[in-house]
Amino acid sequence: MSDAPSPRGTALRSARELAQAITTVERGGASADALIQEALAHLATATGPAARVIGVTGPPGAGKSTLVGALADRAREGGRRVAILAVDPSSAVSGGALLGDRVRVEERPDDDGRFMRSIATRGSGRSLSHAAAAVSLLIEAAGFDLVFIETVGAGQADLGIAQLADLVLLVEGPEGGDEVQAMKAGLLESADLVVVNKGDRPGADRAVERIRSGLALGTDAPEVLLTSAIEGSGVTELLRALETALLRPGRDGRVRRVAAHLAAAVESRAAERLRAADEDGRLDALARGIVDGARPLRGAVDELLQG
Amino acid sequence: MTVRAAPIRVLIAKPGLDGHDRGAKVLARGLRDEGFEVIYTGIRRTTDAIIAAAIEEDVDVVGCSILSGAHATLLPKVVAGLREAGAADVLVVAGGIIPEEDRAGLEAAGISAIFGPGSTIAEIATYLRANVRRP
Repeated sequence: MSDAPSPRGTALRSARELAQAITTVERGGASADALIQEALAHLATATGPAARVIGVTGPPGAGKSTLVGALADRAREGGRRVAILAVDPSSAVSGGALLGDRVRVEERPDDDGRFMRSIATRGSGRSLSHAAAAVSLLIEAAGFDLVFIETVGAGQADLGIAQLADLVLLVEGPEGGDEVQAMKAGLLESADLVVVNKGDRPGADRAVERIRSGLALGTDAPEVLLTSAIEGSGVTELLRALETALLRPGRDGRVRRVAAHLAAAVESRAAERLRAADEDGRLDALARGIVDGARPLRGAVDELLQG
Repeated sequence: MTVRAAPIRVLIAKPGLDGHDRGAKVLARGLRDEGFEVIYTGIRRTTDAIIAAAIEEDVDVVGCSILSGAHATLLPKVVAGLREAGAADVLVVAGGIIPEEDRAGLEAAGISAIFGPGSTIAEIATYLRANVRRP
């Protein structure tokens, strides 16, 4: 990786500096806050359009990583500086994680207009790391203007990515999306664009039709495209659709990211308080008091949150 | 917000041309269960790609699995590349089939440890916890 300053002349000049800053932000605490603040101060003086963040989600095995790699290649050819943030789950048992998304993405060691980082969810209990929003701000401050955040497909319930991304791309496999699923609330509802990947497999066309007809029952249905990331077909069209969708006016991306970061921080602090109360017995004592009628239920939650 | 204890990050790489990655996958999975964050890069990676990935992922350890016999050229390249990139603090360890007589040379080139067949996951995990150079 070269140490050449990025176009925005940021403090995070090299891949090494950006990578180390991400490590700090993942750990949290005062140095993390300082880095985020610095990135924002830098971005406030930067000229040029703000970075765009595309959230990529969908069920395991749909080919998200391969597709993101192919999209990144195309976007790079179009002159974008592209970063990929790949999120995989941490084990609830060991706290470890197996982050395997690099296997599916072509490494381009000589290209400093590309950056890829794998992060684990680290006890967020969700499909997204609590650090994801802050990390995307650092990546933007390092001069990348298109960021793909790939999350484990958590199905219906998990909408964290929609809070921080400018656009959500849902990737389905060729078996995906029966009509009932398409009507359900959740992931599909928050998708701005849907793609059926593995279009080289039998049945993929039918999956497109199924999802389209399911979505057609609602208003403002997202476009449904077909790709084969392995063969490269449909990828250029998909990127074009994404770029077009990004042109639609929306909420300020940085405001969105900072809001998502604050939401994650609140959630994470509440979880810490609860864990501490559980470990030192305050949670049980509180519950016991409520059961025995020694204290009211009302106010108990505030007490736990105050720590 | 409190600073969270962060897992040790390990990049597991297969440099060179051999495509036998069972050992690497077993290790990746085993270290995950030991509480490490393991980044697995897949087979047939160039040393440049491994170095770039190690930098981007900001890992504490790079573990190279080699069964092809090319360890004497590839492993020192990884160490040298990390140093050049300002990441001399990253621990480089190796696994696979590496003949006894080559060990001294590799250690002199900066390979911290070599785990041959028969090494256990627990043994490797213990070594890494004791030897990572960063807090």
